[in-house]
Amino acid sequence: MAALIEVKGLTKKYRVGQEIITALDHVDLAIEEGELLCILGASGSGKSTLLHVMSGLERPTRGEVWIKGVSLLKMKERKMAGFRRKYMGFIFQSYNLIPTLNALENVTLPLLFDGVSKKTREQRAYELLVQLGLKKRLKNKPTELSGGQQQRVSIARALVNNPKIIFADEPTGNLDSKTTEEIMTLLREKVKKFGVTLIMVTHDLEIAKFADRVVNMRDGKIIQISHHQHNQQVSLEGKFAADGSS
Amino acid sequence: MKKFDLIGLARRNLWRRKLRTILTVLGVLIGTTSIVVMLSLGIGLNNSQRKMMESWGSLTTIRIMQGMVFDDEGNPQGQSKSLNDDAVAEIRGIEGVLAVCPAYELYGDVRLGRKSGGLSLIGIEPELMGQLEFAPSHGRLLEKGDRNAVVVGSKVIEGLFDEAERRQMERGTFDFESGEEKDPGEMMNQRLALTVENMGGKRKTYNFMVVGVLAGDDIEYSYQALAPIEEVKRIRHFSLTGQSGGGGAFSPNVMDLGGAKAGRGRREDQTNDYSYILVKTAGVEHTPAVSQQIKDLGYDSWSVADALEGIEKSSRTVQAVLGGIGAVTLLVAALGITNTMIMSIYERTKEIGIMKVIGATFSDIYLLFLVEAGLIGFVGGLFGIGFSYGISKIINYFTGSFFGMFWGDESMGISLIPPWLALFALLFAVLVGLLAGLYPAYRAVRLSPISAIRNE
Repeated sequence: MAALIEVKGLTKKYRVGQEIITALDHVDLAIEEGELLCILGASGSGKSTLLHVMSGLERPTRGEVWIKGVSLLKMKERKMAGFRRKYMGFIFQSYNLIPTLNALENVTLPLLFDGVSKKTREQRAYELLVQLGLKKRLKNKPTELSGGQQQRVSIARALVNNPKIIFADEPTGNLDSKTTEEIMTLLREKVKKFGVTLIMVTHDLEIAKFADRVVNMRDGKIIQISHHQHNQQVSLEGKFAADGSS
Repeated sequence: MKKFDLIGLARRNLWRRKLRTILTVLGVLIGTTSIVVMLSLGIGLNNSQRKMMESWGSLTTIRIMQGMVFDDEGNPQGQSKSLNDDAVAEIRGIEGVLAVCPAYELYGDVRLGRKSGGLSLIGIEPELMGQLEFAPSHGRLLEKGDRNAVVVGSKVIEGLFDEAERRQMERGTFDFESGEEKDPGEMMNQRLALTVENMGGKRKTYNFMVVGVLAGDDIEYSYQALAPIEEVKRIRHFSLTGQSGGGGAFSPNVMDLGGAKAGRGRREDQTNDYSYILVKTAGVEHTPAVSQQIKDLGYDSWSVADALEGIEKSSRTVQAVLGGIGAVTLLVAALGITNTMIMSIYERTKEIGIMKVIGATFSDIYLLFLVEAGLIGFVGGLFGIGFSYGISKIINYFTGSFFGMFWGDESMGISLIPPWLALFALLFAVLVGLLAGLYPAYRAVRLSPISAIRNE
């Protein structure tokens, strides 16, 4: 299979009281390695559920998900945790940093669960935080950081384990438009530089323009897939920058 | 996740709610302290009883006497078997017996320097003396090859008086109470002359040299003297010669040492029998079994350990009750730990979800909460032990003088914390913490990671 992530006939139903809600309705999707994909949709369109199922956090009612040819649904929870730790990074709307740990410690956490030594993981986290412009904020707790800074810490955390895929759930939902622009530019630059596949869920058309491909969802179904011509250039610039730096 | 990181993370999580953690730890501290102090009282009590009994004689020595044999209810079962060389051989064959020492006992008038008085002389095998838990405070014990040597008990000198003292006694002015302490050491290297009268009224004097003084002041030997058995046999032989078969040699006023020996009778027809046989066992734990086997063979045996068994049984009951009271306190503390951990999970629902999303396995989460609960137990236990030592000291300080009156040893406390108790308490506190953390840890594992990443 050529695609990095392949989704076939994915259906997810919830029971809410007496009602059964269909969050995903026979979704088929293939995502290429290195792609920056945006899943666009209104609230309740099933976009977040799709993200959860693709990242193995939720089990679908029906259908299949393969990542690099490995079926996620057949994986045991213990193996799934290891899989997430090795291949995936996550970015959330509300940052979800651990409030008692400082910026550096938050970034090292995925490596800590992976059993990496303290020295190595702090070295790696430090490098990333410096790249993300947080050199002076290493020892700050999340509450001492602005929204944009917190999101940059969480980007560093998502990148720290050298993932293949980063899942971002409304990454700029809590940020003003100027910071959104900043964060998105930074995020795009990083994923292109490291060759990471980014799957981003949003309802914001403005940030969809940073993607290579936009998937439109409504009522649990994919209604339109569009390639962004404009973003091709950004992509090339990114690639150029990456080549220049290496 | 590495163990070191796990413990570091757990410690951090606990320390973030300082007051709550401290209060929970305090609960464990009180629980541990109450268990340790309660058990220390039981152990201290047991120990002082044991020490008291040791002052009655050695716990590894069994004494086999002539006379009647009694069953457990004290009903006479007939004459015991003769205490001769066959008996010595038979008893030597019992498992757990270290040494068997036959002994003759006779009574006579002695002179020691300017002092004189009555003294009972025990004849034992000189080379076995070292094995029978005798220890000298001055000089040495009897050794192989000794002939006219004698080792005296520390209180022997208190039974001997010089002329001046005798006159005082006759006039009734001798002060038994405030007589200045006599130094047992002054008996060393003195000539001890023993005068014995035989059946025919003939008197003969035997001379001994005091080579050692026994340490300790137990009632069994501190008023007696010990000499090589061959020598005593000779004296005995002389004392039994003469005319009639009267019991002159064994003075009827030989001290009766303890109720268990009250049934002792004299049999003049078996004059070659030993007065008693001392059996040394391999250890306190062997004494009751050996003692029972000797009884089963048809001898009248007595040891301090026989009485010890009953006392230990009752003190075990006391310990169980005291320990139980302490355990209830720790149980309450365990509920406190569970409560704290469950509250902590409610607060940290989101955080647990995040950790799962970024790659923590079920066992990572499970272990994290278990270690947090165990850590509360460990810290509480550790401080609890420290606290217990303090309380133990205070108890001993206030009760020391009171119990000192009974046992004459003020250093002996009623509360005693041996190292094994401290270690046991610590392990127990950790175990209680881990058990209390099982359910909260299970709840933490079951939390859905989705709830954490769902946007609020």
